[in-house]
Amino acid sequence: MSVATYRAPRRDLALLWHQVRYEQLSFWRNPQSAFFTFVFPVVIIVVFGALFGGSGRSSYFNGLSALQYYVPTIAAVSVLGSCYSQLAIVLAMRRQNGILKRVRATPLPEWTYFLGLLAHCVMVSAVDVALIAGIGSLFGVPLPTHWPALALALVLGAASFCALGVAVASLIRNSEAAPAVVQLVLFPLLFISGTYMPIHSSALDRIAGALPVRPFNQALLGPFAQHAGVDWKSLSVLAAWGAAGALVAIRRFRWDPRPE
Amino acid sequence: MRTYMTGTAEGAARVAVPARSAAPAAVVVAGLRKSYGAVQAVRGVSFTVRHGEIFALLGPNGAGKTTTLEIMEGFRTADAGRVEVLGYDPGDRARGRALRERIGLVLQDIAVEPYLTVRETIARNAGYYPAPRDVDEVIGLVGLAGQERKKVRNLSGGQKRRLDLALGLIGRPELLFLDEPTTGFDPNARHEAWDVICGLRGAGVTIMLTTHYMDEAQALADRVAVMAGGQIVAEGTPSDIGGRDTARSRIRFALPDGYTTADLPVDGVLGEGQVSVETAEPTQALHQLTGWALQRGMVLGRLTVDRPSLEDIYLRLTGDGTRIEGSIR
Repeated sequence: MSVATYRAPRRDLALLWHQVRYEQLSFWRNPQSAFFTFVFPVVIIVVFGALFGGSGRSSYFNGLSALQYYVPTIAAVSVLGSCYSQLAIVLAMRRQNGILKRVRATPLPEWTYFLGLLAHCVMVSAVDVALIAGIGSLFGVPLPTHWPALALALVLGAASFCALGVAVASLIRNSEAAPAVVQLVLFPLLFISGTYMPIHSSALDRIAGALPVRPFNQALLGPFAQHAGVDWKSLSVLAAWGAAGALVAIRRFRWDPRPE
Repeated sequence: MRTYMTGTAEGAARVAVPARSAAPAAVVVAGLRKSYGAVQAVRGVSFTVRHGEIFALLGPNGAGKTTTLEIMEGFRTADAGRVEVLGYDPGDRARGRALRERIGLVLQDIAVEPYLTVRETIARNAGYYPAPRDVDEVIGLVGLAGQERKKVRNLSGGQKRRLDLALGLIGRPELLFLDEPTTGFDPNARHEAWDVICGLRGAGVTIMLTTHYMDEAQALADRVAVMAGGQIVAEGTPSDIGGRDTARSRIRFALPDGYTTADLPVDGVLGEGQVSVETAEPTQALHQLTGWALQRGMVLGRLTVDRPSLEDIYLRLTGDGTRIEGSIR
């Protein structure tokens, strides 16, 4: 048949890297995306550091110090920002102004485009988490020691929230509505998931535990709280949400600004 | 930036371009139909684009040009009919990559990432193709030399359009779709773009063009088809479409003071202060008219002889009955 059949996998990998590089370039050049993914979580952790820097372990924070609790949850916020929020908004915008339609007209395979975005988001998330952990250590929060568990939670979380971001972008019609819709979904979710204050209600815990943000918080809390082992239960809930998001994205994602 | 030679006066001899593949035609469209709800946008359109030619689709807004083009480009699926582009079905995404490596697109609306530079944008797309053109060569070709390091968001509308054209060319396409490529260009930029397009034809590229500008179709196209109301109402070369080659000539001049059209040796119609004479025998009619004027020691002011322009034919073909909406730019 065609040349495509015999295309070396190495060339496809090179193409993926090529795509990631240009996604990175677009991202770092855009002051708005850099602000929301970096400045916001950094400001919060600095403010929390100033507020709680001196406080020790307490039962309110489940036996952790306040900052030991907030470093992983704010790190989760930064991952949500760069994967879920940013991706949904950027894709809705790129669709609206016709950029996606053009991408689809090139030989770049669709999966390479999305894998490129995913890899880009994971990289940005890693920088984000490192930044938050670094600032936390300035306020005396020890760096996590269980790196494989942290890396697993980070990559799985980033991938799941990317899938959910693409799913939301698939359901939004116009890009002006995107930031509002994204925040409308995220904001209450953060509050019931213990991001800004620990949850001490078993009913709320159960509800939030079945939604995506709480499990991600839990999966990140472990490595930061120096617990050994992987929180498989949380990771599987997260993965299920990621799979659901991917399913919606695959079925509903549109490239063309005008519906057919 | 005259990289390629101009040279498309009407009727100028065109270099025959050898077909690149054994396929009989670059594009075959047969019995194409497409409706949006109750609106029939395309109603049984058929045409063929031969390898190496520039084929222009003309028509007012809403005539179905863009829908036809978007089905050929694989963005939309037809309700009925057959479309073959370089031997592929453009709606078949599974085999689409091989097709998209061989075609280039310049769409109607400008859409490029705002934060990359001109060079980065072109280099990124170059990476998508197996044998792309040289990035700097393309930058020169579309007239963006000196702007390479400029961010896309800081480009003017015309410059963005050139960048769009660059993205259409970077993959070394065999077939290029140009949807109103020079809309928004100033006259100089348009002529430069025409030079580029003629140069591409010289290099063997087949071009499928839509345009609102009759002079553009006249200057570029080997063949044109006029669409109105979702159908092709005429097809031919720019010089013979709609019976243009056999149409009667028109002689126009100012009626001398003190005379009426009844005094003239030929039949004429008075309108807008000018007499207009339509004739199949312009030499004879002119001889009679000028003889008549010379005998009386008069001058026929503002004397012109012409044939209906492509625009006249176009306006007649797409006239009120079939015009759906919008204006003709």
